[in-house]
Amino acid sequence: MAEAPAEHIIRTIDLSMIYRSGRVEVPALRNVDLMVAPGEFVAIMGPSGCGKSTLLHLLGGLQQATKGQVIIEGIDIARLSDGERTAIRRRKVGFIFQRFNLLPTLTAMGNIELAKKIHGNGQATPYRSEEIIDMLGIADKINFRPVELSGGEQQRVAIARALINHPAIILADEPTGSLDSRNSKQVLRILRNLNEKLKQTIVMITHDPEAASMATRIVEMRDGQILNHSGHLTYEPELEGLF
Amino acid sequence: MESIVAANMRARPARTFISVLAVAIGVILMLIVGGIVSGTLNEYLNRTIGVGADFMLQQSGGSVFYAFSGATLPVKLEQRIKEVGGVGAVTPILAKFSASDFGLVFGIDLKSYNEFPGKLEIISGRSSLVGDEVIVDELYAKLHQLQPGMPLTVLNHKFTVSGICRPGAVVRIFVPLPTLQELNGTPDKATIMFIKAAPGTDIGAVESALRSAYPGLDLRSTKDASLLLADTKMPGMQEFQFTVILVSMLLSFMVVLVAMYTTIFERTREIGILKSLGASRGFIVGMILKETVIISSLGVLFGIGISEIARAAIIRAFPTLQVSMTFSEVLTACALGLMGGALGALYPAFKAARMDPVTALTYE
Repeated sequence: MAEAPAEHIIRTIDLSMIYRSGRVEVPALRNVDLMVAPGEFVAIMGPSGCGKSTLLHLLGGLQQATKGQVIIEGIDIARLSDGERTAIRRRKVGFIFQRFNLLPTLTAMGNIELAKKIHGNGQATPYRSEEIIDMLGIADKINFRPVELSGGEQQRVAIARALINHPAIILADEPTGSLDSRNSKQVLRILRNLNEKLKQTIVMITHDPEAASMATRIVEMRDGQILNHSGHLTYEPELEGLF
Repeated sequence: MESIVAANMRARPARTFISVLAVAIGVILMLIVGGIVSGTLNEYLNRTIGVGADFMLQQSGGSVFYAFSGATLPVKLEQRIKEVGGVGAVTPILAKFSASDFGLVFGIDLKSYNEFPGKLEIISGRSSLVGDEVIVDELYAKLHQLQPGMPLTVLNHKFTVSGICRPGAVVRIFVPLPTLQELNGTPDKATIMFIKAAPGTDIGAVESALRSAYPGLDLRSTKDASLLLADTKMPGMQEFQFTVILVSMLLSFMVVLVAMYTTIFERTREIGILKSLGASRGFIVGMILKETVIISSLGVLFGIGISEIARAAIIRAFPTLQVSMTFSEVLTACALGLMGGALGALYPAFKAARMDPVTALTYE
């Protein structure tokens, strides 16, 4: 897995994903070409079922593409085995989920330290847990279990966990989808700060135009394809929840 | 750092406790059931050696566990053996298994039997064994609250206790040889001859002389180390031990398998989270196996502790019963308990490691 110098930290070429259920084929992504430069904060928007989550999963190596390339820092992870993709994800990617996905049996600190432990002695230098905890304002919550934390606090712990190993890319799957407006703003502010101050590359899926407006670029998707990279939306996201 | 393994165990205390208990029961089964059998047999063999005979002469293919041998030796052989050079003492024994006492009854000729170092030391009553008299050892007398002069039914025959001997004799019940021969329907027959070399004679030479005099019979030296391993040669013993071990291991294996398999389903989403964090298959397998090893280790320790308590209680309640629990037996139980648990966790562990991360993350 030799790493070639990369102009783009993420690049997908002709990326397609087809789900098969018996003889039925359901295309989720069709020939997607996406480029993300280092330090960019990209929001991906689009209606439900347009392939946003599939794209994010492929970028994080959680799934194998049917066709095309997913190049992360010069490595085409679409050609790698499950074990190799796992290693890339461990070293280069941090995930933030809508439902936080903290391990319920561990405390906030336990969740953060677990990510550090899984990372082991990889190439990136992990942050000190204290730095991240202070930065995210959860110092007084580190000994609480997820069930004892509010949604906003859980998401901040999840961000800390995603950041702890200093990943090249943060992939956020509707990070504000389960939060109230106050906590949503706080989480978005954190992501924006990470991007602006630490030059952290972030790819975020969202239905929320306000969340998307925090990004440096908006990519719109529909029917498994990228419609435009401009930031100008061609659909009405406010209608999403009504259907 | 808080360990995910410890946290998982703490988060599901009932499952952890049941798994620990299952492994413990397996260990207890191995140690107690196996221990009673091997303890009783070993004690029996040691007491056989304690008679002080140099040799035991039996029919060809006879077992050191006399109950498995028939009464085929003519008693008159006693006189002929005495004529072999170097032989000092000979005593014929007829052995019969008493199901109600779960032990052997020896029909002996008290006079010739007492010529051996392991003679019956009478501590109460008379040293007499004729007609319907019976001598029992102190433990048996204590267990059945017997005193000299009291009646005792053995092998459906009424005897009278003539004396109580010190424990350590080869069996706990002695009756007159002719009486047992009559009860057994084998007049003038014995199961075995205990033979003692005359003082100062060359034991090896006596053995050679006996072997050439009775080539068709089995002659065992009590100095032969293989005698103490005779329990492994007892008919069905290896099969029995194997069955106990198999049942014990299966118990640990099945409970851990079911517990871990259920846990994997419960923790599907958590496994998805671990995979999204970049946990390798090895990490996930290791995490589940670590948890199992801790559960199995706790089960083994718990099992050993309970077995020790049960052993003491059994010996206290049934003084004639012996429960062997040697270091090697405990070590074997530990190894098998751990192995049963680890094997039980392997399939769930690999199943978890193979889970699709996206499916696992969306599992409700």
